[in-house]
Amino acid sequence: MAVVANELPKVRRSPTNTKIKRDTHSKRLARIGWAFSTPALLFVALVTIFPIGFSLALSLSNVSVTGNGFSLQGFTFSNYYELLNSSTWRYAMEFTVFYTIATVLVELILGTAIALILERLTKGRGPMMALLLLPWSMITVISAELWQYIYEGTYGVLQSMFSAVGLGSPVFLGSPTPAVVSMMVADIWKTTPFVAVIVVAGLVMLPSEVFEAAAVDGASSWTTFWRITFPLLRPTIAIAVLFRILQAFGLFDLPFVLTGGGPGTSTTSLALLSYKVMFQNIDYGPGAAVAVSATLLVIVGSLLFLRVFKAQVGKEELQ
Amino acid sequence: MKINSNNPEKKGRNKKCGEIVLTFASLALVLAACGSSSTASSNPPSASATSGNLTWWASPIAQVGIRADLISNFEKAYPKIHVTLQSAPTNTDTNRSQLVTEISGGSTSPDVFMGDVIWPAQFGAHGLAVPLSKYLPSSYFTKFAPGLVSGATYNGQVYGSPLFEDQGFLYYRKDLLAKANLPVPTTWSQLESESLTLEHDGLVQYGYVWEGASYEGLTCNFMEYLASAGGTVTNSTYTKANLTSPSAVKAVTFMRSLVTSGASPAAVTTFQEPQAMAVFDSGNAAFLRNWDYAWSNSQTPADSKVVGEVGVAPLPTFTGNSYPGYSNIGGWNLYINPHSKNLAIDLTFIKWMSSTAAQDILGKTYSEIPTVESVRLALASLSSTPPPLKIAAQTKLVPRPAGTPNYPALSSAIYSNVNSALSGSTSVNAALASAQSKAATALAGGI
Repeated sequence: MAVVANELPKVRRSPTNTKIKRDTHSKRLARIGWAFSTPALLFVALVTIFPIGFSLALSLSNVSVTGNGFSLQGFTFSNYYELLNSSTWRYAMEFTVFYTIATVLVELILGTAIALILERLTKGRGPMMALLLLPWSMITVISAELWQYIYEGTYGVLQSMFSAVGLGSPVFLGSPTPAVVSMMVADIWKTTPFVAVIVVAGLVMLPSEVFEAAAVDGASSWTTFWRITFPLLRPTIAIAVLFRILQAFGLFDLPFVLTGGGPGTSTTSLALLSYKVMFQNIDYGPGAAVAVSATLLVIVGSLLFLRVFKAQVGKEELQ
Repeated sequence: MKINSNNPEKKGRNKKCGEIVLTFASLALVLAACGSSSTASSNPPSASATSGNLTWWASPIAQVGIRADLISNFEKAYPKIHVTLQSAPTNTDTNRSQLVTEISGGSTSPDVFMGDVIWPAQFGAHGLAVPLSKYLPSSYFTKFAPGLVSGATYNGQVYGSPLFEDQGFLYYRKDLLAKANLPVPTTWSQLESESLTLEHDGLVQYGYVWEGASYEGLTCNFMEYLASAGGTVTNSTYTKANLTSPSAVKAVTFMRSLVTSGASPAAVTTFQEPQAMAVFDSGNAAFLRNWDYAWSNSQTPADSKVVGEVGVAPLPTFTGNSYPGYSNIGGWNLYINPHSKNLAIDLTFIKWMSSTAAQDILGKTYSEIPTVESVRLALASLSSTPPPLKIAAQTKLVPRPAGTPNYPALSSAIYSNVNSALSGSTSVNAALASAQSKAATALAGGI
C-alpha cells in the first residue's frame, strides 16, 4: 500500500518537490512511530526472543543446575545427539507430527463445513456463533477435566453409553490407540470452532458476483464450492491452518491433564517430554534441546505448508 | 522468502538481524552467568537460635490445618521465632519444579521446605539442599524408624529430616469377607482368588483396585510386588538395571493377571490414588491398595459409603514367602534451602519438628505416621490409634530406588513400560526389555 501511495503524486502534480516533502514527512513519521513502539517492542523481545535465545543457549551447552544457578559450560551438540539416539524423543516427535496433521485436517474439514452452514443461516447466526465459540473459549485444563469425566474407565459417561447399547465397557484412556483417538476428539471438539469462525469471516468477504455468474452458468453447488468458494477461501484457510499447526504442535495441557503422557508413553508430546526432562529430571540441556527441536519442526512445517500453498496459488494465477 | 544476496539493502538487513540475534544470545549467556550467586555461609550456626523469622514451604498435608497447628505449637515453644507458611502446590512435580527454579535462581526463601522422600539424591547432587548431617550430630538421626534416614542419604550425607512417613496398605471390606466367609488375604494369589469369588458371588462389582496409571504411583505399586518376588530395580551402586530378572517378570506377570482375570477392572491402568479410592469408598471394590490417608477418607461419611466396614492389613506377599509382604515408603522430609540466611533458626525448626511434641500432633491429631520410632511405638499401643498407624509398626518396608539423582527418569522407565504391559499393548517380556534399556539410559543420565 505504501508504494501505491508514493506513486500517486507522480501522476497528479508537479512531481519532485511534493515527493521529497512527502518522503521527509513519512520518514519523520516513521521515526516517531519507531520511537513510540520501541518500549513495546523491547517488552515483546524480552518475553519472546529472550526465552527462545536462552533455550537455544541451554540446548547448545553442558548445563548443570546447581544451588548457585545454571552454569553453561562449553559449546556442544551432545544434547541434540542424545535426542537423536533416544527412542522416547523419536516417538514424541512422530506422535506430535501425526497428531498435528490428523487433528488439523479433521478440524479444517469440519470447520469449513460448519462455516458453510453458518454462512447460509439467515436467522440466528449470531447466537449460533456464540454457542460455537463456547468450547474454544474454555480453558483447556478445565475442558480436559470434563473430558476426563466422559472418558473415565469405571463411571465415565461414554462408557455408560457404550454399555447401554451393548458395546461392552471399553476403557478409552487405557490403551494407546483409543487414548490417542480420545485425545484427538477432545482437541477437535475444542478447536474446530476456531477454524469455523475464521472461515466464516472469509466466506462473508467473498464477492457475490462470481457466485451469481456461476449460478447463471448453471454450476452445481458442488462445482461452485470446488471451483469458486474453495480457491477464493485459500488465504483464509491458510491463516486458520497456520494458527492450528502452531497450536497443535505445542500440545501440552490436554495430555498433561487427561493421560499424563500415557498409557505407556503413547500420548507424550514434544512439549510434555520437554517439561518432564527439564522439570522432573532437572536435565535442562536435553530438555531445552527437545524444546528447540519442536520449534524447528514447527517452523519447517509452517514454511512447507506456506510454500505448497503459494505454489498452488501461483499455478492458479498462471492458468 | 528467498534472500537475494545481491541486494545490498537486504544484505544490510540480514546483517542487522544477525546482530540482534547475537546480542540476545550473548545477553542470554551473560544473564545465565549472572545466575551464579554466593552460597549459604558455611559457618556453623550458633547453638542457641531462639529468635528470628523463617519461611516454611509446605504443600497441604492430607488434612486441613496440620501445617497451621504445627506452626502455632512451634511458636509457643519458641515465642521469639516467627514462621511464615508458604503454601506449595499439591502436585509433587509442580512443587519440585517451582522449588528448583527458586533455589537455583538464588532465592533465600523459603528457608525450610517440605519435600518428597524421593528427592534427596536429586537435590543433593544439584546442591539444592543443605546436607543436614554437616550440622546435626549423628545421634540426631538415630531416633528415626529404620530405613528413613538411609532413604534421605546421598553420597554419605543426610539431606532430609523425616517429618512423616507413608506406606502402602491393604484396605478390605470386613462385611464382604464375613459374608463370603473368607479370611484377610496374606498372599497375592489369595487376594486375586478372593476378589474373583466376591465378584462371582455378586457381592461386589470389582475385586481389587490399585494405582496402575502411567505415573510415579505405579512405580510404588510395582516395588511392592517386585520386593515380594525377591527382586531389585538396580544393583546397589546404581550402575546396572535388573528389570529383566525372573523376579521382575514374576511381579509384572502377576500384575497383568489381575487385569486379565478380572480381579481388577481394566480401568485400573488409568487409576491414580483418587480414582482407586473413589471406587473403593463408593462400595464398588472389595480391596484397595492405598496410603495411610485412605483410612480417614474411607471413614468420612461425606466421602464414603463404607464407613465402619473397612479393615486394614499389611500388603500380601507371593506364596512361599513369609507374611507380611512389602510396603513401599512414601512421605515427606524437611530440607533447608542452601541460600537461607537463617540456618540456625532453620535447624531449630527442623529439630522441633522431629520432637515428641510435634510427632505426637502428627500422629494423634492427624493420623499421619510419625517418623520417630519411639512415638510410633507408643502410638501403636494406644487403643484409640487408627488402624493404619497400628499396622505400620508391623510392616516390612521397601524404598524406591531413589538413591540416584537420575531417579525420575529411572522411575519413568519403570512406570511407562509396566503400564504398557498392564494394558496389554505389549507383552510382559517386551515391556520389561524396554524398561531395562530405558533404565540403563536413565542411569547413565540420558532421557
